[in-house]
Amino acid sequence: MVEYALEVNKLTKKFGNFTAVNDLSLNVKQNEIFGFLGPNGAGKSTTIRMLCTLAKPTSGSAKIAGYDLIKDPSKVRQKIGLVAEKMIMYEDLTAAENLRFFGKIYKMPKKKREERIDQLLNLVDMEKWKDTQISKFSTGMKQRINVIRALLPEPEILFMDEPTLGLDPQTTFAIREIIRDINNKGVTVILTTHAMTEAELLSDHIAIIDHGEVAALDTPQNLKNILYKSDTSIFTTKIMNLTHNMIEKVRSLNVVTALAQQDDQNLKISARGAGSLNQIIDAIRVEGGDIFSITNSNESTLEDVFLTVTGKEIRDHATDKSNILQHSTPQSRVR
Amino acid sequence: MDLIDIIKDSYYIMQKDLLGLRRNHTSLAALILLPIAFLLMFGFIFPGANTQEHIPVGMVDLDNGSASNAFVAQIDTMNKNSGAMNIENFSSVEAAKTQINRGNLYGTFIIPPGFSDNLTNGKSANVIVYVDNSNPQVSAQIESTASNTITGLNGMQAQINVLKMGSTTNKTMNTQAIVFPFTQNIETAIPGKTNYFNFLAPGLMIMIVMITVMTGIPEAISKEKEMGTFDGMLSAPINQVSIILGYTASLCVKGFSQCILVLVIAIIFFGVTIQGSIILAFFLLLLGIFSFVGIGILAVAASKDQATGTTIVNLIMFPMMFLAGIFYPIQQMPWFMQDISKIIPLTYAADAMRKVMLLNANINDVLIQILILLVFGLVTMGIAIPLFRKSMTT
Repeated sequence: MVEYALEVNKLTKKFGNFTAVNDLSLNVKQNEIFGFLGPNGAGKSTTIRMLCTLAKPTSGSAKIAGYDLIKDPSKVRQKIGLVAEKMIMYEDLTAAENLRFFGKIYKMPKKKREERIDQLLNLVDMEKWKDTQISKFSTGMKQRINVIRALLPEPEILFMDEPTLGLDPQTTFAIREIIRDINNKGVTVILTTHAMTEAELLSDHIAIIDHGEVAALDTPQNLKNILYKSDTSIFTTKIMNLTHNMIEKVRSLNVVTALAQQDDQNLKISARGAGSLNQIIDAIRVEGGDIFSITNSNESTLEDVFLTVTGKEIRDHATDKSNILQHSTPQSRVR
Repeated sequence: MDLIDIIKDSYYIMQKDLLGLRRNHTSLAALILLPIAFLLMFGFIFPGANTQEHIPVGMVDLDNGSASNAFVAQIDTMNKNSGAMNIENFSSVEAAKTQINRGNLYGTFIIPPGFSDNLTNGKSANVIVYVDNSNPQVSAQIESTASNTITGLNGMQAQINVLKMGSTTNKTMNTQAIVFPFTQNIETAIPGKTNYFNFLAPGLMIMIVMITVMTGIPEAISKEKEMGTFDGMLSAPINQVSIILGYTASLCVKGFSQCILVLVIAIIFFGVTIQGSIILAFFLLLLGIFSFVGIGILAVAASKDQATGTTIVNLIMFPMMFLAGIFYPIQQMPWFMQDISKIIPLTYAADAMRKVMLLNANINDVLIQILILLVFGLVTMGIAIPLFRKSMTT
């Protein structure tokens, strides 16, 4: 058995002049859950597509389960399973027929195939829907079938591109349970997600990807510690009469590295350097702001790390003025 | 990846696709209705010679003598057999022409005054055939009926004259041999009565297979790409060629079913008879598919979405449909069109199909067509398959 499930070496993908993935290098150990976290267009999906032999790298190389991605794609394909962003299922066929078709092209012997289909349907609690057409399923039911479809040929490495995107909390929970379960059975899981909590809950290691490059790579805890040790502080301030001018004023400060409006009173600010808090308070008061409270985050969340590393959310939100009063969703997702 | 695996995977893909078709009732209905619609539509909108019936025609008899009565009687007799015209009598030329101008008549026969007198006085008796030649096919038919009638009357009159001359010279004569020294017997390659459907059916079969396969390939692959299922197949350990082969096989099954439908309808409802070997005909269908499937694959490789793929295919397919001699013989086209039709594989496929089905041609008779189709297929596939594989992993 090879030590690394994934050895990625200077992987690069260009579309014309646009570099989607730039010199990406990382290793993933056997039996890990590895999360790719990053904003849209960061190159997560392109990376997954390259690693699944669906897209040709412009340069660089990778070994998947010990096999070279470029030289031995068919060997790689025997070792991997894919849960792509678009579901891999034929709507006109039943759940069992879909699974059977993929079992056949993976050359599974009939007896084993049928046993495994029943076993997997059981795993996701879908036995009674075995002979129902996919088109009659809800999104959550489809995604459960989509996940077990990838698991059918018993892959060593499972790639999951946004596996819980657009699902209700129950299904999201169920899918996460399955991910843990198969990981316990020895499958390496490579996951991409927008959802911080998901990456934090599941992953052994997380790579934060931005502009096609690894911006940070560590365990979730270490990533948070990095932030804690640095001179960056993140705090939330509640301003009773928050205006757009105040936000712009704070954002224009040099010490402010990131800013996100959470609702019509709360701002989340990331700042760097000594005296940064004083400068921010001054800026707000100059605009006549009535500061109700300022809370320093004692323990930073992965979202804070993400914001500090990528800075994306702030700029996105600040430029989109019409959205100012709309960002009060409890779970943060970065667009 | 060895050949057996490719064939097995193709089979699974075909099986999956046909299963999907069985579940999708709309597609299934379209599959069955397409050949029926084509057969009925093309069968009825392209008329063969002398197929028109009940053409309204006027008759103005200004003579009312024995000869004009003979002429009218002769036309009536001929018309009874063919049913080509509905003849209506008019008392004046103006009345008939007015009806023509109003579009109620396509033409009129005018027997001028003194028609019978001319004949008895040893002069020519002249009938005027006035036609609305804005409709060339109908006017040609009226002219030909008139001319046949005149020929018939001339023959009868000549025989009577010859008999009279014979009686004055006391010689027995074979009037038939004197009046009509030249005769013909027409024997046809296809026994029995033929109609336009005989010409149409073989070409239509190959054309339906072509439409099904050529539009089907980009449609199927683009659908897979857009649904995302294509990634599922490409990330599985199968050869990309089996995807194309699988879909082609599935489309062949669909196309062949449509062909059988065309054949059955043509035989039962349109009296088409099949002279040659059905097995050879189906082999030619398969070869036809091989010759143009490469174009479909090229369209897939060159296009990003279904709409583009379908547009490319239509751009190639429509000229092929109309220039390949399916609806009318190539020999009727101007020379430069004939040259274009010579570079279309469908021309050879339709030609070979027709020869086998109608003329009972054997494999040696259509060897040249088979070779051309084979070469065309090898060349297009040779270009298309590598391009397709390249387009898969961008």
